[in-house]
Amino acid sequence: MNQRRHVTLVAAAATLLATAPMSTIFASWTWLIDCILAIAVVCGAALLLRSVRAPVWAQVLGMVVGVCLIATLLFGEHAYLGLIPSGRTLQHFADLVSAAGTDIRDQAVPVPDRDGLLFLTTVGIGGVAVLVDLFAVGLRQPALAGMPMLPLYSIPVIVHQDSVSVVPFVIGSIGYLWLLASDNVDRVRRFGRRFTGDGRDVDLWEPSPLAAAGRRLGVVGVALAILLPLAIPGMTSGLLDRVGGGGSGIGTGGGNGNGSGSVDLFARLSGSLNQGNPFTMIKVSTNDPDPYYLRFGVADQLTPAGFRNRVSSGGDPAVDNNFPDPTVTLPGVTQSTYNSHVQFVKFDMGLLPLYPDVTRTSQIDRAWRYDAAGQLIYSSSNRVTTADMKSYDFEYVHTRYSPDALRQAPPLEPDNPVTNLSAVPSQPFVKALVDKLTNGKINEYDEVRALFDYFSLKNHFVYELSTKTGSSGSDIENFLNNRAGYCEQYAAALAWMVRQAGFPARVAFGFTLGTGSNGGTYTLTNKNLHAWTEVYFPGYGWVPFDATPTSGLSGPVSTTWAPDPNRPATSTSTAPGQVPDVGASGGAGAGDRANDPAQGRDPGGAAIQSQSRLSDWAFGGLGVLLVLLVLPAATRTALRRRRRPRYATQRSPHPEVTGGQSAPVMRVLPGPEADRARRDAHAAWDELLDTLLDYRVGVDDAETPRLTVDRLVAEFGLTGETADAVELLGRAEEHARYARGPLREPGLGVALRALRRAIARRVPGRTRLVAALFPPSVLHRWRAGLIDSFAGAVAWTGRVREGMVSSLRPRRARAQATRS
Amino acid sequence: MTVQRAAGEVGGAMPTTEFAAATDAVVSNIEQVIEGKTATVRLALAVLLAEGHLLIEDVPGVGKTKLAKALARTIDCSVRRIQFTPDLLPSDVTGVSVYNQETRDFEFKPGAVFANIVVGDEINRASPKTQSALLECMEERQVTVDGVTYQLQTPFMVVATQNPIEMEGTYPLPEAQRDRFTARIAMGYPDSTAELAMLDVHGAEDPLYDLRPVCDAAGVRNMIATVRSVHVADALKQYAVSLVNATRESPELRLGASPRATLQLLRTARAVAALEGRDYVLPDDLQALAVPVLAHRIIPTAEAQLSRRTTDLIISELVHRLPLPSDRQRSPYDTRQEREQRGNPYDRRR
Repeated sequence: MNQRRHVTLVAAAATLLATAPMSTIFASWTWLIDCILAIAVVCGAALLLRSVRAPVWAQVLGMVVGVCLIATLLFGEHAYLGLIPSGRTLQHFADLVSAAGTDIRDQAVPVPDRDGLLFLTTVGIGGVAVLVDLFAVGLRQPALAGMPMLPLYSIPVIVHQDSVSVVPFVIGSIGYLWLLASDNVDRVRRFGRRFTGDGRDVDLWEPSPLAAAGRRLGVVGVALAILLPLAIPGMTSGLLDRVGGGGSGIGTGGGNGNGSGSVDLFARLSGSLNQGNPFTMIKVSTNDPDPYYLRFGVADQLTPAGFRNRVSSGGDPAVDNNFPDPTVTLPGVTQSTYNSHVQFVKFDMGLLPLYPDVTRTSQIDRAWRYDAAGQLIYSSSNRVTTADMKSYDFEYVHTRYSPDALRQAPPLEPDNPVTNLSAVPSQPFVKALVDKLTNGKINEYDEVRALFDYFSLKNHFVYELSTKTGSSGSDIENFLNNRAGYCEQYAAALAWMVRQAGFPARVAFGFTLGTGSNGGTYTLTNKNLHAWTEVYFPGYGWVPFDATPTSGLSGPVSTTWAPDPNRPATSTSTAPGQVPDVGASGGAGAGDRANDPAQGRDPGGAAIQSQSRLSDWAFGGLGVLLVLLVLPAATRTALRRRRRPRYATQRSPHPEVTGGQSAPVMRVLPGPEADRARRDAHAAWDELLDTLLDYRVGVDDAETPRLTVDRLVAEFGLTGETADAVELLGRAEEHARYARGPLREPGLGVALRALRRAIARRVPGRTRLVAALFPPSVLHRWRAGLIDSFAGAVAWTGRVREGMVSSLRPRRARAQATRS
Repeated sequence: MTVQRAAGEVGGAMPTTEFAAATDAVVSNIEQVIEGKTATVRLALAVLLAEGHLLIEDVPGVGKTKLAKALARTIDCSVRRIQFTPDLLPSDVTGVSVYNQETRDFEFKPGAVFANIVVGDEINRASPKTQSALLECMEERQVTVDGVTYQLQTPFMVVATQNPIEMEGTYPLPEAQRDRFTARIAMGYPDSTAELAMLDVHGAEDPLYDLRPVCDAAGVRNMIATVRSVHVADALKQYAVSLVNATRESPELRLGASPRATLQLLRTARAVAALEGRDYVLPDDLQALAVPVLAHRIIPTAEAQLSRRTTDLIISELVHRLPLPSDRQRSPYDTRQEREQRGNPYDRRR
């Protein structure tokens, strides 16, 4: 018991160490406290139950209850005494899970402390602790404990698009090795007396001298596992190569070492992205509750390789504040004015980051000029870049559109200067695709939405840090076929397709929302660099559409007019991840919804819907489980029903005399009638044997029907009608098997029922329950079938191999042939 | 020279009721002399009806000879008795040709085997030379003396007794001889009530003298014909073969049972089934007969003998282990390998 207590503690510690990789996901350490509590509760429950020698299933149950209690204590609402969950607590948990689902979709690592995610993490790690304890102590198979730990390791690998530090994984593996080692030390200890190499006795609690060798082997194994990948050139890029020079474009392209802070404005349709170490480029603060992306560049020159950046010229100095009036007075458009402050940390460009549409600037050099067509402020002098600036302020108008408003956009007039931004190289593949997608759409917005929605997970578009090569010879066709890439490809491809559909489109460069929205200040790093598409709607201007899958972005924002195609259609609030309470997000948001009847559903409705979807899944899972559980019993019932019509049917009223009453030379009675009677007897006998098997009464293959019946009568003390019934069954089977003609007597079904009742009365309740729920006869038959098919497969492969060998070696085949 | 035995020799089959009455009469008649041994008596009758020979083996004084004599007396047919002694000669058994001075020719004087029922008492006291005189007549039902073959009558049955305990001055039966006996039965001690009844009955005078025959040779021939018509399902033939095969493959046995044993097992099973009033054989019949019919033919290995494993024990264990064949497919409950189920519980490859 003492040893098991020790292994229990080690298992808990190993679980704790295995959670180390989770540290790369969370921004703070609150999760660790929760997890320590959960693991401690699991460990305590296990120790307690083991000290009272509870069976393994009770230990597991106790630990699971422990996890539930700690989850209720930490996250529960409306719980009795703060510990016992009520129905509303479970409701709250369901809300938390759905919130966690949203968070997982929207949040980028490292994520802040959010209740849903913390709940999921605590419960998940509690579950892992239960499994680790079960495997390591309950089942004494500590190697299997690695299986539940594996998800903990794989989560950071999945979540992080690029490389993750190896240190947490090393910590986790140390925990696992510790668990393995302590279990094996325990195992060796049970061998009995141990000796050192020179014959000295080793005390029971003293580690064996051989254990040192095991530890050394473990350390060497871990070291090899870490060092070997470093030695292989192809695998080092993720671990060691922190240099961002490999990629280009968005990211720290063109720089050396830790990023130069400049950005190559070319939205390529193929390439790979190597962002390197994150470093802060800009800090921006705004009083806008839900700002869109900060934007600094535009690429509107379409080449077959992608969109090249716009060369700005002309325009007035921005400091003159001679900006065009961004006001749009159309229904469905809401505009609000906000102030923003940008602070440069490491950003070296000839372009100023802005929220569109800027109406006033201050504290900037006269060399900065406003390019009205590109809606950007650029430096007209090579000497003036943002690297020289500390910060600046600007005022902007945030315009929000409703889909219905954009649907009202008039057709583009041919003399509008933006018309030339709808020129596109001829690509039959793209044209066919766009024609197919926009077929039946009548206005510009619907066509653009159809193209935008095309870039969804449903169509297998995924975020990858590099594109795959293709054979078509055209980058856009390759991308649309391979459906994997990063923001540049998505932005350029959508813009290209919108142009193909005949509308002006371009690619915008900037930053996603970033993290840390405390007080409206966002820290933007090189990881936030982003590209998206802007589409021109006559009368409304350039409207942004971000087609990149949100899973690859840190701080994506979805809009009412371009909602994330991967999430439920009802979820429409602007940046729900950042603004939990949409209702409190100010007049703009409220007005937005009020203006748009299609968007009028409140977020509560969306929550209920997503929750019901969750419960649908839960019900579906439960249903499948239920079906699996019911399957053996159902099979048994079906079998019984299939046999029943045979033995239950009434025979001809005058039972034909067989056996002893007549002359010994009997007519053999062939024909369908006799065959049926024989089959009936066999069915009844099979049913009898199945019943015996179900109730765990032995069935012996060497026993004759007569002996079986005698045994049953003796074993269950059957008398009277029941005994007669059982004897009838035996006689019928005997006749059917061995006599000239079968016995023709009705009442086999009645006899079977009587026997089943008699047996059921005399077996323990547990056996009865098992017979009803999981009939052993069915399970045996399944197992036998499985074994048979497996043996058949083995025999078949053996034959195939033999055939191949003999065909390959004709000499041996000839020798075998002559021998046989 | 061999003579084919035609089926006509055994007369016609009897109706079931008649058969039952006849056999019951025989059994109850014998039971007047042998109390409380119904099963043994019925088995002896079954051996007679199966056209076999019976070896009664038991300690002295339990009624071996009495059973043999009672059986012989109950049936009204020619009965001869041979008391096997060490100086008995083969010609005493088979008969001898003596010179007849009147006819100036050798004349055959039939020996004791020329009868319907031959009671051979203390058979193991004769030398193997004498015992071998029985070999031909028991199997082939004929006697060849001086190149002339004499057919024996039907029914022909040798009922022999022997004492397994006392070994001085005895010659163990040769294997060929033992194999010719269809069944070996042990009398066993009577239970106390039967023994009490015996005291009353046998106290004054031997009831054997009052025993009247209830059946004649023709009746027995008809009964044999009835037994021959009993139905045996193919599955049971298979079972009999598997059973005998199992004795040949058992690691505990040096010598298994012969094909003759299979034949006689099935014949006896037919007789038992008919005595039970059935016109078909059951596996139960075969199982019940396995020990009496097979146990005396087999020879255990030295190891089995050392571990005090009697042949009876080995055979009954085989019977309990061998799965029952049915005329259906393999039982779904049988999770054992197909190979084992083919009736070989002693596969050496295991």
